[in-house]
Formats: sequence, structure tokens, C-alpha cells
Amino acid sequence: MKRLLFVALALGLTACLPLRRDAPLVGELTNLTASEERGQLVYMANCQQCHPGGAAGVGPSLNDKPLPHLAIRAQTRAGLGAMPAFDKSEISDADLDALADYVVRLRRQGTSAP
Amino acid sequence: MNPARRSPRRPALAAAFLLSLGLTSCYNLLPSKGGGQISPPTTRAVRAADIAVPAGYRVEAVATGLNFPTAVAFDESGRPYVLEAGYSYGEVFGVPKLLRVEANGSRTEIARGQRPPWNGLDYANGTFFVGEGGEVGGGRIVKITREGAVTPLVENLPSLGDHHTNRPVVGRDGYVYFGQGTATNSAVVGPDNADYGWLKRHPEFHDTPCADVTLAGRNFESDNPLTPGEGDRVTTGAFLPFGTPSQAGQVVRGALPCAGAVMRVPVNGGPLELVAWGFRNPFGLAFSPQGTLYVTDNSYDERGSRPVYGTGDTLWRVTPGTWYGWPDFHAGRPLSDADHFTPQGKPPPGQVLARQPGTPPKPTALLGVHSSSNGMDFGREAFGYAGEAFISQFGDLAPGVGKALGPVGYRVVRVNVATGVITDFAVNRGRENGPASKLGGGGFERPTDVRFTPSGDALYVVDFGVMTTTEKGQIPQQNTGVLWRITREGTR
Repeated sequence: MKRLLFVALALGLTACLPLRRDAPLVGELTNLTASEERGQLVYMANCQQCHPGGAAGVGPSLNDKPLPHLAIRAQTRAGLGAMPAFDKSEISDADLDALADYVVRLRRQGTSAP
Repeated sequence: MNPARRSPRRPALAAAFLLSLGLTSCYNLLPSKGGGQISPPTTRAVRAADIAVPAGYRVEAVATGLNFPTAVAFDESGRPYVLEAGYSYGEVFGVPKLLRVEANGSRTEIARGQRPPWNGLDYANGTFFVGEGGEVGGGRIVKITREGAVTPLVENLPSLGDHHTNRPVVGRDGYVYFGQGTATNSAVVGPDNADYGWLKRHPEFHDTPCADVTLAGRNFESDNPLTPGEGDRVTTGAFLPFGTPSQAGQVVRGALPCAGAVMRVPVNGGPLELVAWGFRNPFGLAFSPQGTLYVTDNSYDERGSRPVYGTGDTLWRVTPGTWYGWPDFHAGRPLSDADHFTPQGKPPPGQVLARQPGTPPKPTALLGVHSSSNGMDFGREAFGYAGEAFISQFGDLAPGVGKALGPVGYRVVRVNVATGVITDFAVNRGRENGPASKLGGGGFERPTDVRFTPSGDALYVVDFGVMTTTEKGQIPQQNTGVLWRITREGTR
């Protein structure tokens, strides 16, 4: 229950606070961990088209919401509404962990926020 | 369909469910916020400082007041030449022109044409090659001498529809390669094509495949914009004229030239050849330093009788003889995957072919949905990022092409073609993304071409100018185009 409240609260607090992470504005992502590098490739193949650079596009922005690792993975697996679901045949469990690492790193780029 | 979507039993899935409610299930209620959804500005500001580039690079405006510019190329000495299209979505017609841009930003006319839009430009051995879009008169590839004499190299290209004849590039093998767009969004002529303007001019026009295709017999009912009054409904099948239904097992004969293809012709003339097909609107062509051909492809829209949701523009490595998936695949995934491609409140697009002409590959990179990723060139040592593909993104045309929750594109990105990783290279400054007219700045409006100088030390960016959008189409502003130059500091 606490997790649900946290997610709802985080969403409410941040959904209206778009932050840009474009490389020319905040610097390029460097020194990625091995997992983040793997997650970056997964993101580019599956997520980038709707959330370019983590920003809003056809889908909502991701980089202004402090989503926990668990929520990122669960949302990717489950999909809902306009977002499709990605099952294990499309994104393996290991790739999903890496993807969540990358999304968290993407959100931190250019900011001291968590 | 993933069964987990229907049975969120574990806490993680419960959390995802709540999150999803917040992020996506109110999608229908959210308004579209495309970059062009503003009132047309009265003037265009031009301020290079409003464009952010990586440290060590500098932006400047080379020429302003261009009228729907679409392409840039250089002669041996590095002098830039630009095309003015002579046509824009929004049904604004003018005169296509090839202009030399002088050092002070003034222009000298080299040639003019009669079949707009002029979409793409290359230069080799004293000759210009122009992709003549042919919204009027059909598409051509024309050669233009430095003195301005225009002669056709290829004629009668199927360009009367939504998409046109695009950029030609001269290969090391003595052939001119070019992209040819499709007539429609997803192979079915519909009322959206009347909105684009051409259906009333050419009601019999439709897509022609490059090889024989067998139809599944799926048909699409729509209003009939060709007759007065309301209530007139028509049924249309894929690859057929508006109002013509298809039959299961019906074979549509392939032909050359065809729609959604990369084709080539010897530089001095000769028979037209098919290189690859199954593209939608292959706009930007460029050879990598290794001589491999790449193409940017504008993907499906959520419009017309067969709308398709959520398909990002693609960067393809072109392998001769390959079918790339249009109109039944996106980026290697079949459109029968309803979970990915069904627009909200609309039926899934399904598939219109009974048998697929091949197995489409995965793209080199997957760019933003509706980003309109257009012009392309490859970075050189003198500039940095050697071997990476630089791509100009014209920006979304929401809401007419579908909803966007935020502006998409309006920038130059670079792509590592080995990994598919996309990194922004030049963007407008501001709290949000979008064209300068939306942000109140003087940076990019709609970057539509990029090209490096012959020495490779400068990247020129063609900015089409202001184009605002409505549900029914586009409102372009004449004479608002800009030619930008980006250089590495200390190299000029």
C-alpha cells in the first residue's frame, strides 16, 4: 500500500514539471555502467520512439517522474492504456533490469534529483 | 497479448496498474500538444544563440527569408546551394528554385522548375541532381548544369499523392539513387488524402507496388469527400483507387516505377532499376563513409481509413532486393500486433496483404513517432562524430497525423549506426521542446535537411520555416526559411 501511495504521490508532484535532458543542454550521458549501457540499447529499440530522450512525445515524459525501479519494470511488462506491453520474448528479465537502470540514470542526468 | 495485462495479481503489477492510470489511461482525455499547435506568428525571429549545441561548436545563420527551403548541397569549392520547394503541405504553390547562397547571404538563381516540390539535391562533377517532387505533373529526377539548363533523367514517377520524389544521391558506382514516397498513409486512399489536396485533383491515383502483391480482401469504409452533402459512404481496398473495394486473393500487379521505394538510374541516363521497397516515405538518403546506403523513412500516421498508432520514424541500412515492410509492418513488427498499433477508439490496422513479400529487417535506429526525420549526412573527422548519421527532424504535424503529448523533433540528432543509439546534437533552448515560434525564441523552426561541406568541417542545416498545424492540416508561412551553419570552434 505504501508503494502505491508513493507512486501516486510522486506522479502528482512531478507530472507537471517537465525537465529537459537533451544532451546539448545538460551534457551527454557518459561513464555508463555496463547495465546502463545495455539498458540504453533496450531503450533505443523499444522506448525511444514514444519517449524520445525520456521526454514526452506520443507517450508521456519519463524523465520528470521519480519512478522506482520496480514500477518501471512492472509498467513495461504490463503496459496499459495507450502503452503496449512488452513480454519476455521482447525484453528479457535481464534486459528489463538494465532498462530500468538506464531510465533512472537518464532521469538523473543534468540534475541532482534522485 | 500479454496475459499479465489482464490479471495484476502481484504488488508490482498493482503498482504498475496505478502508475499506468496516471501515465496512460487518461491518454484519451489529454489534449494534443504538438509543436505546431499555435497561432501563426506574425514574424520569425532568427537568433543563433537560441540553439544549443555541444561545447566546442558554434551556430550561425547563413541566409534568412528563404521560401520553403528543402535541401542544400555544395560545389567543389564548398559554396552552398539551396532548393526552394515551390510547394508546401497546406496547398501553397509557388516556383521551385535552385539558388546559390553567396558569402553575404544573398542568393543567385541558378534554375527554376515547374513541378513542385523540389525536395532533394545533390551535386557531382559539375552537375546538380534534383528530386522533383511532382505534386503537379508527376515526379522526376532532373539534372541541372551550373548554367541552369534543366534536363530530365527520370520521368513519370508516382508523386501525385501525400509523398513525393525525394533526395537523389550520386553513388560511387555511377548511379543516382533516390527515394520515392507512397501516395497514402498505409496503402488505402481515404478522406485524409482529400485534406492533403490531391484526391480531388487525381481521384484515380493510388499506390503501385514494386512487385505483384496478393490482397487479403480487407476493405475500409469512409465518407466520400468527392461528392457533395453528407452520408455518402464508400469502400476502398489497399493499392486500389478511392471507392474501389478489394477481394481476397486479388493480385495487384507490380510495376516500375513504384511507390515507397529506393530506385536508381545511371548518372548519364538509362533504365530505371529497383533497389529496395516497402518503405513509406524514404526522404533522406546518404552513403556512409564505407559506401553503404542509408535512408530515413517517415512512418505511419494516425489518419485516414487505416490509421496506425505509435510508429517511430526509421533509419534503414539499405540492402538491395529487400522489402522493408510497408504497408503491413513497422520496424520489423507486423501491424497485426494490435497491442502496439491500434489507435485509441479505432479498429486495429491489421494486415492488408494475404502473403508478405518478404521478412522485413529491424531498423538501424528507431526515431521519434511523428518526428519527421528527414535529411541525413554522415559526420567527418574534421567536424567530429565521424561515421555517425546526422539527421534533421522537421517536427511533428500533430494533431492531424495523430496526438502528441509533447512536441517531437525540431532538432538535429546524431545516430551511432553500429548501436542505434540516438543523441541530440542541436536543439532549441527553453524549458520545453518545440519550434522557435512556440518557444518565443529565434532558433530552429523545422530542420528538414543536413549536409556537411566537402571538407567536412561544417554542417549546414536547412530550416523549412514556420508551419503551424490544425486538425485539418498545415499552415505554412512563406519566406521564413533559414540556412544555418554549425562549425567546430577554431576550424573557421
